[in-house]
Amino acid sequence: MAKLVLAAGVPHPPRLVRDIAESPGKTKGEALMKQVRLYVEKAEPDVIIEVDSDHFVNFFYNNLPTFCIGMAEEAEGPQEIWCPMPRYVVRGHVPLAKALFRYGVHAKFDMAVAHELRLDHSLVVPLHFLNPAMELPVVPLYTNGFVSPLPLATRCFSLGRMVRRFIEAWDGNERVALVASGSFAMDVGGPLRGWTDTPWVETISRLLVRGQYQALARRATEERIAAAGNNSGELLNWVTVTGAVGNAKPLFVEVDDGYGYAVWETA
Amino acid sequence: MSTYLINKILYLTDNDADFRKRIKEDPEATLRAFRLSKEEHEALTSGAVGRLYQMGVHTFLLNHLSRYELFGVNRDNYLSRIREGLAYDPRFEQGNMPVQYFVKE
Repeated sequence: MAKLVLAAGVPHPPRLVRDIAESPGKTKGEALMKQVRLYVEKAEPDVIIEVDSDHFVNFFYNNLPTFCIGMAEEAEGPQEIWCPMPRYVVRGHVPLAKALFRYGVHAKFDMAVAHELRLDHSLVVPLHFLNPAMELPVVPLYTNGFVSPLPLATRCFSLGRMVRRFIEAWDGNERVALVASGSFAMDVGGPLRGWTDTPWVETISRLLVRGQYQALARRATEERIAAAGNNSGELLNWVTVTGAVGNAKPLFVEVDDGYGYAVWETA
Repeated sequence: MSTYLINKILYLTDNDADFRKRIKEDPEATLRAFRLSKEEHEALTSGAVGRLYQMGVHTFLLNHLSRYELFGVNRDNYLSRIREGLAYDPRFEQGNMPVQYFVKE
């Protein structure tokens, strides 16, 4: 039987990679990524399922799934030329992706599937820190966090619960880590660029710390998310992960401006 | 009015190296393939970020105008342009354009 050995959430600021290269030991983000990395190492996963929202690199309005499983044998990224970080080849895990796709569809999650992927920074930045040298295979689970209508957060919570049930029902022996990629609240390119919706960030953080995941899912309406800026739908990836942790409370939740970092022990 | 084509132009700029080269070198000829409305064409080619925003162009994609410095938009004027025509909001005071990185091709 497969096992969920760890759940975590981290943001994916591309600038962090260069900031650390230019001034190591100075950023809060570096310390927090290291902290999360230590828990990942300790949990000894064999594979990572990464819940992420593509930023118009793999998907566009011509074909835009609400939920999609990445089933590629390998994929490259980040594709964006403006991204100041190394390029990687990330291995997939086709048997897990295939089994999750089937299990999900039979559980009434009508997900899309992609056998080819162009990875964007949001998928690769967390792996740069948590999966250095890309030794672990990764199954991307995409949610649409960017284009209205977003999936309901309550639906994402159920998606996470399904992923947990899948892992425990799957006949692989893999130790699985589930990682959410995304900020709590941020705007890139909108008129409020640079402003952070601190009250919303504090609300998210408080509900996570208390383990009130369903309350968070109910409060994370599209309207509330939109008010916090155009990248704030990435919270849906966090909500998805909370659906998989059961009653476990996070070992820690740390906030750095609009970015959140957290780890759950689930084994 | 659909903003699909403008979103598509911005998406291609970020994802397609050949398109990026063409839109930089010969924007008029490149845009001809897109059948933009007169209003869309004028707003895009004059770098009227605020108008494009109010038409409903996706802001994450709109930001590519500043990343790739298209149609006179850059990181120094992007925020003031997108705020054109909006009522003053005290949150603008906290807004600044963080460093964006550009990779030379």
